[in-house]
Amino acid sequence: MSVNTQDKHATAREPVAGSPPGGRPGRGASPRGRGPRWTWRTAQSVKGASLTFPFLAGFTLFVLVPVGMALRESVYATKSTGGLGFGGQTVSFVGLDNFAAGLADGNFWAGMLRVFLYALVVVPVTQVLSLAMALLLDAARRRTAAGFRIALLLPYMVPGIVATMVWIFQYSPTVGPLTPFFEALGLDLNFFSSSMVWVSMGNLAVWGALGFTMLILYGSLQSVPHEIFEAARLDGASELRIAWSIKVPFVRGSLVLTSLLSIIGTLQLFDQPLLFRAVTPETITRDFTPAMMIYDQAFKVGNLNYATALSVILAVVVGVASAIIYRFTNREDS
Amino acid sequence: MIRTRARWATAGLAVTALTSLSACSAGDAPATGSEGDAAGPATIEVWGWNAETGKQIAEAFNEAQDDVTVEYVLQASNTATQTNFQNAMEAGSGVPCLVQGFAPLTTMVVNGWAQDISEQVEASADLYNEGALAAAQVDGRYFGLPSGSDGQFYIVNQKTFDKYDVEVPATWDEFVEAGRELKKHGVDVTNLAGEDPSILMNLAQQAGAEWFAIDGDQWVVNFTDEHTLAAADVIQPLIDEDLVSNQTYMDKPALLEYFDSGKMASTTTQWWSLTGYQTGFPDSAGDWSAHPIPQFSDAAEPVTPGRTLPSFVPEGCENPEAAVAFSDWLTTPEAIEAGRNKETGAVGFPVQIPDASPYVEEVVPKDFFVDDKVAGEEIVAAQERVIGKFELGPNYDAWFPELQDQWGKAVAGEITLAEALEAVQAFVVSDLDAKGISYTVAE
Repeated sequence: MSVNTQDKHATAREPVAGSPPGGRPGRGASPRGRGPRWTWRTAQSVKGASLTFPFLAGFTLFVLVPVGMALRESVYATKSTGGLGFGGQTVSFVGLDNFAAGLADGNFWAGMLRVFLYALVVVPVTQVLSLAMALLLDAARRRTAAGFRIALLLPYMVPGIVATMVWIFQYSPTVGPLTPFFEALGLDLNFFSSSMVWVSMGNLAVWGALGFTMLILYGSLQSVPHEIFEAARLDGASELRIAWSIKVPFVRGSLVLTSLLSIIGTLQLFDQPLLFRAVTPETITRDFTPAMMIYDQAFKVGNLNYATALSVILAVVVGVASAIIYRFTNREDS
Repeated sequence: MIRTRARWATAGLAVTALTSLSACSAGDAPATGSEGDAAGPATIEVWGWNAETGKQIAEAFNEAQDDVTVEYVLQASNTATQTNFQNAMEAGSGVPCLVQGFAPLTTMVVNGWAQDISEQVEASADLYNEGALAAAQVDGRYFGLPSGSDGQFYIVNQKTFDKYDVEVPATWDEFVEAGRELKKHGVDVTNLAGEDPSILMNLAQQAGAEWFAIDGDQWVVNFTDEHTLAAADVIQPLIDEDLVSNQTYMDKPALLEYFDSGKMASTTTQWWSLTGYQTGFPDSAGDWSAHPIPQFSDAAEPVTPGRTLPSFVPEGCENPEAAVAFSDWLTTPEAIEAGRNKETGAVGFPVQIPDASPYVEEVVPKDFFVDDKVAGEEIVAAQERVIGKFELGPNYDAWFPELQDQWGKAVAGEITLAEALEAVQAFVVSDLDAKGISYTVAE
């Protein structure tokens, strides 16, 4: 960073009125020049920076350009030219109208509230269970841990849609194994019912995210210096005390990261309710979550402009939520 | 500094993840779609997702005549066809000359995708049945190729009906009565999946409803006319009196097991579902009998509901004659034979031709019906009586999910079907307003 700043200053000093671009040959070689345009140092930093080119190109093409296009899309409105709708469409600039409509859209914010409440339960449950798993693995022998690590990561490798299908068959009140299992325990549960749909989806979400979160926390635990444990043991601390007072504070940074990822993922809840919609259509409507509503607006209603504006609003909400949590947890840290 | 950067990175990630969800656009740029000159045969591309026999049919067509060469471009699915087609229209190049219908015809017209081929189709109209011709029209003009609708008929588990001495219903009123009788024995007369309002659409179509009609330069929207409410009146007691089950199609193993158990006595269906029943109903195979779909008591003549998504010739195709010639050839015995599946040995049932009876034996599964001959006759009769046309208006993709939502609530008993239909109509009206399309709501 400091190298770049220096170079920028050097370049800023350099321009001389009327001088050809690139400067005169040999000028950079003169130690007494008014500041070399192309020094060894600049060459090195350009070389170094060039290593980021593949990333930057991809980032620009697949992130910046689509974001730019999306922002452009969101300030226009597409309407039919009237009549039966057979005469084509006109596109007009509407400024921030789509955003104003989105901010006032009760269905969109109701969906937002739903996923927010869902996140309040699912995110902590995922974090606590993952942490517990990571601590157990950390306490286990290395070989045992390796086996469990892979087994626990397997759900994460299953694509979301496939996982949802698998669980729908597990939940099936008619042919699934869970209904008779809970009946044997004296519980009459219908995972397809309206009242159980959040539990059904939440369980699926936790199952899917557990392995990944656990792996990050476990990795973080591996970096805790073992001398501290030995010192604690010498002082007579139990394993539980060591876990609570030493290990957990050490992985706090990782916990913040996994919580953020979890929140971002949960607020964008999409594929699970989309499939569960068939199971409880009276509960899961077309605009049940913000992401479902965006999809519905873009690809069903056909209002791409509004869908894009809603996407931007959701992105801002997720960004703000992440920033608040990040700041909050960081302050606690200090 | 790091914290700021991380925050921006997080926000950036979020924006990316979300905006890419909708970074897609549709367009209506026409382009050329056929090649060829006066001397040689015209070459046209045909897009569809018939993986089994699409290519072999095209090859047979190319061998059968010298005027047109068809290149069959196999698409992965209905959705893939739509995506690729929209991209081709947007790019303005590589637009095919015939596309298998992936959405209702009026949607194709509204989007500027389908071209008016009335002149070409009218010349060969006698090759097709009335339902197929009706389905290919929007506002009296042919924007689609005549495409057969799958006529609905009614199958009952005869063993269950006989066991409880219940008459097979001929009218929808009798159907509800049969439901009440069967319920006494713990049997459901049929299944209403909460996510699938098609039975409501079918009954409305059969009753003579017109949810969308064209009056000059505007649409007439009418989801609550007497015909639609007559359809709702059939279904409402089934829900209120708990005469039906509500198994979802998503949980197919459970659905098939339930159908096969004898606890569900009957269902409306169409020819292409039969093979699935044959494999999915191992226990009840041989117990089922086919009947005409129940009629409304006041019907002037028996009619069969059935809809289709017609194939169409895209705007920009310069040789619509070639596409229609291929479509016409598909009605010939030679073409139907060319469509025989080499693995299963079955031909596709030619639902678009006036008399499909010579082929019906091929689609009646073995050992499923009590009487195969009667089943065959019912399938043919259903095709002959099929209405074919049910106008779904200029914004079907927008309102159908709303109908699903409202239907789901009605089936769960949260609202009545009449309320559900009013809610759908209100949605249709607000969506047409938003889209700037002219309409009036029927009185």
